[in-house]
Amino acid sequence: MPPDPVPPSISAIDRPAPPLLRYYIFKALATTIIAPFMMVYLYFRYHSMRYRFDAEGIHMAWGIIMRHEIMLNYSRIQDIQLRSNFVERWLGLARIEIQTASGSASEMTLEGLTDHIAMRDFLYSRMRGAHHPTPQPSEDSLAAALTAVAEELRAIREIVESKRG
Amino acid sequence: MAETLPPISRLEQWVLDVLLVPAAPQPPEGSPDSIRVFHAGRNFYTFGLILWALANAGFFAFLITIDFAGTRIVRHAPDWVQLLWTLIIWFDLLAFAATLPVTFTAQQLDYKLRWYMVTDRSLRIRSGIFAMQELTMTYSNIQEIRVSANPLQNLLNIATVEVQSAGGGSGPGSSGHIGRFEGVANANEIRDLMVDRLRQYRDSGLGEAQKQTTQTDALSAATQVLNEVRALRHTFET
Repeated sequence: MPPDPVPPSISAIDRPAPPLLRYYIFKALATTIIAPFMMVYLYFRYHSMRYRFDAEGIHMAWGIIMRHEIMLNYSRIQDIQLRSNFVERWLGLARIEIQTASGSASEMTLEGLTDHIAMRDFLYSRMRGAHHPTPQPSEDSLAAALTAVAEELRAIREIVESKRG
Repeated sequence: MAETLPPISRLEQWVLDVLLVPAAPQPPEGSPDSIRVFHAGRNFYTFGLILWALANAGFFAFLITIDFAGTRIVRHAPDWVQLLWTLIIWFDLLAFAATLPVTFTAQQLDYKLRWYMVTDRSLRIRSGIFAMQELTMTYSNIQEIRVSANPLQNLLNIATVEVQSAGGGSGPGSSGHIGRFEGVANANEIRDLMVDRLRQYRDSGLGEAQKQTTQTDALSAATQVLNEVRALRHTFET
């Protein structure tokens, strides 16, 4: 079964929204002494961050000197965390942390999404187990079908036998 | 029976508005009649207050000790140093007193703003005021359920139900992989509900799904079909 197409509003996202840069300024200022270095790092992080949401999964890339690229399948998502602090809410942002079954703390953090609720719902809809499990053909119904076939065959045989009879 | 939460006061609502805390979370997709929403028990607030009182008493004792020690040290210092020290003492004591109502209200809000939602497919847990977190997890990914309570929580009849998904995220500040129904009064009820709903997901967690072993009915029916087809062929042949 081919996966459903990604909604246009989701597949259109390829970069974090501009408020993220403003949030990064606050974040850098909070580090006080190393703020200038932090600002440079976050500035490049913001400008190099790219997203791609396709039918199978998420691609995320950032960094210029240290290049990072993550790809993960929707079906491998273990849980979704929506986090926001006061400053982020003030700027209309939230982080979405996606966990897979590997060992690191948080595999992917989607930052700078303005419509994080829609994104959360989208990711949730693609997660394993979000839909009702496809009803497995139960053993009972299989047995019933086979019994019915056997009865049909018996009837045919009896007709043939009586015609010859 | 689940306890009902006290309503949010006007002051608390004002704090929530200022901090831009959104209203109750929407429950995750699932059949509407299966949605159940739990909250922290009344004693979770008591528990929080006890911890709050202990922490503040400890900090107050620390401040007093510093102040006394400092006063002894600056005993023979020039007057302006002594004056400065007195000002510092007053400042830290006043600042400490000013934080008390804030942290006290925060305890109330932390107790009231907790949602533990359970549907037939997934669960969603939201908590926090200043830093807010909301976790969504499907049953398919649940690895284990655990109920824990420390002695004080035992005394207060509350417990924490932890639901874990796969993975070892245990870095500082990471609460990923773990959904915590913190301070619930009906931990056993929640645990039973989760176990019951998990049972409907035979493939939950990692690892091989349990195979069904009741194939004998289908096998005997298939044998019947086979016998019948053989007899039919025999009829045509003769």
